[in-house]
Amino acid sequence: MRNRRVIIATIVGAVFACVAMTGSAFAGNTYKLAISLAITGPTSDAGNPYSKGVGDYVKYVNDNKILGDDKVDCMIRDDAYKTDVTKRNFEEFLDEGIVLYMNYSTGSTLALKKDFDEEKIAVLPASYHAGNLLDSNYILLPIPSYSSQVIGLAEYVANNHKDGKAKVAMFIHPSAFGRGPVEDLEKAIAAGLNIEIVEVVEHGKDLDNTAMIKRLQSKGVQYVVCHTVQSPVATFIKDAKRLGVSASNFGEAGKMTFLGAHYTGGNDLIALAGDAAENFFWTTGFMLTSVPGEGTDFQLKLAKTYGRDDKLANSHNYTSGIMVAQVAVETIRRALANGKAVTKASLYEELLAMNGDNSYDPKTTTGPVTFSKTDHEGVDKLQLYRASGGVFKGEGAAFVPEYVSKIK
Amino acid sequence: MATNRWLATGNFFSTYKEEQRIFLTNIDRLTIWSLIAALYAWPLIFQMSNKNMLVIDSILVAVVAVIGLNMVTGFAGLISIGHAAFVGVGAYTAALLAASWGESHAILTHAWPLVILFSGLVGAVIGGFVGLPAMRLKHLYLAIATLSFQMIFTWTINFMTLFNQGQTMPLPRVFWLTGKVVRKDHYFFWYFVILTVIVMSGFAVRNLMRTRYGRCLIAVRDNDRAADAMGMHPGFTKVYAFALAGFFAGMAGAMHAYLFRGAGIESFSLHQSISYLAMAIVGGLGTLSGSFFGPAAIQFLDLQVENLSAWAGTILGSSMNLATALRPLTFGLVIVLFLIFEPRGIANWWRITRSYFKLWPFRY
Repeated sequence: MRNRRVIIATIVGAVFACVAMTGSAFAGNTYKLAISLAITGPTSDAGNPYSKGVGDYVKYVNDNKILGDDKVDCMIRDDAYKTDVTKRNFEEFLDEGIVLYMNYSTGSTLALKKDFDEEKIAVLPASYHAGNLLDSNYILLPIPSYSSQVIGLAEYVANNHKDGKAKVAMFIHPSAFGRGPVEDLEKAIAAGLNIEIVEVVEHGKDLDNTAMIKRLQSKGVQYVVCHTVQSPVATFIKDAKRLGVSASNFGEAGKMTFLGAHYTGGNDLIALAGDAAENFFWTTGFMLTSVPGEGTDFQLKLAKTYGRDDKLANSHNYTSGIMVAQVAVETIRRALANGKAVTKASLYEELLAMNGDNSYDPKTTTGPVTFSKTDHEGVDKLQLYRASGGVFKGEGAAFVPEYVSKIK
Repeated sequence: MATNRWLATGNFFSTYKEEQRIFLTNIDRLTIWSLIAALYAWPLIFQMSNKNMLVIDSILVAVVAVIGLNMVTGFAGLISIGHAAFVGVGAYTAALLAASWGESHAILTHAWPLVILFSGLVGAVIGGFVGLPAMRLKHLYLAIATLSFQMIFTWTINFMTLFNQGQTMPLPRVFWLTGKVVRKDHYFFWYFVILTVIVMSGFAVRNLMRTRYGRCLIAVRDNDRAADAMGMHPGFTKVYAFALAGFFAGMAGAMHAYLFRGAGIESFSLHQSISYLAMAIVGGLGTLSGSFFGPAAIQFLDLQVENLSAWAGTILGSSMNLATALRPLTFGLVIVLFLIFEPRGIANWWRITRSYFKLWPFRY
């Protein structure tokens, strides 16, 4: 009797052991990614949808077994746009053993630049500041830098302006984020770009820009290139419309045509400025849901799957979040496909090999993502959009700014 | 004459010197030294993550800064709304040295205690200069003068290329007897450094308040005309209070810069000045212990609200920016509640607790 019990117990134990071992053999690995961004606080209007883009895509990858049995664990932390908090979050991520990091603000990306190099970890920031790349090996911009965007807009002005040299004013954020592209645009002008910068305005928190608009008008400014966030641009263009100086088509004589880089435009600008946003020219490296395509269809499907509202589903910040997560997951997939262990080093290697035939097209961007040892700007092409009828519509084909390579 | 140095009960002071003892009883002495020993020992026993160590280090840096604020606002009664700017002066002093000499300069990497001390001295000079209007101004007018300094500081840093237009100016990792302090030990190392500065500062302030120079701060706060009549110089005292505040703030700033490996304007904003003021109020203005309790309480609260608003941010729609409002709302509410219900701050709870034990075995 006693022997029988021992035998039964042994068999049950063996079965449990086999099940447990089989389970662990098929459990797969979990790769840790992380992002620290402004879910609350300043710029959270961009950070919040961005975080949801990252989160939803990672959920999609795990739910649809894009990496087979392997999973991605992406830690998303709010830093309320404070560099000290970003630093704290980054320390936590390192303790958790992340293999790739996605950062957010320009300030924190610049502040942590040395840490990224020291830790030898690839970083995909939401800040496209060209200065991020200076003296840094591990920061990789997902789309063209702000400098490239501003030069691209200036080229569009130079190519489409009639009657001699275009008089341009720059309307920028009072920080390194805003100031960065000015110097590069000046270099492009020195290299032959046919525009004249009449004035560079660092905006404050003005609720009325009448005096500034009148001043710019008296200086003969016909184009305003904005590089800041949406709300000051909305105030500016609403005032311009009120004063009757907004151009109804590109380059209308005696009026001002407004153009802006990535963080100035999108649906949020239209929501803030209403019909004053009409005829606003905006450039970014992302596809918009107002211009249907494979990537935007996927974005809308993803948003629907995870119960997101229309506003979020159509936000280009949601697209940006999806895109960085796409790049991160694709890098992991490639490392696995090449038989490498997924580590900080192997992912960095894979990112730098993402060029030529190995470039990656996430379909959510205006062109493929390419990185190499010398090229740390992912997508090279920009798309110009124009606000018309309350939505941004594509204006011509995606383009690569010509003067960017000339000033390097 | 006291016959029992262990209990306060039944002991009476017969000289002023006795009354000014740092430790009134041996229990006091034992408690404080045990507490200090425990503060030094616990990180060696309990393993902390870098993140948590960074949180604790940040609290300690704030303690040094609030000790300074307590000198000027608590002890001398001069409202300062620009204290973060003084902290910033210290941080930017260290950062400027790094920018001028190069990050790997031996003074910055090896003689870092001198850099911290020097930053404190620069803070003291700037503090004394900013304090000059205190010779003529009082109350709200003086508060506005300090606010102006905060504004000027922010503007200067944000626009001058010398200060990298507000973007982070890097500082190097330092060396210790065991070699370069790498990331693994960075926060652990700075915990001991900042704690040592706090212990030294605490004793220095406690001793200062026993001297005529310390007492004259309180005299000027309580009634500057009476202090003048008693032979003190209220104007000089006020300027010197600002210089002292600047010294502690400067040291805190340099340690903050070393801790975070850089100085950026964001950490020294008006909002941070208000936070320091809140720490001093919640801790207890005009008390040394309040300088320890306030930063710990406010930063702990801030962390909890941060978690709460992050959680709210993930469940609330992006258009409802309610999560963003949670932080300032909670912060303001705590200050208002303290001002209404416990204007003497957490230090008063500590005082009551100590009194209870001091009078033991009699009832409080």
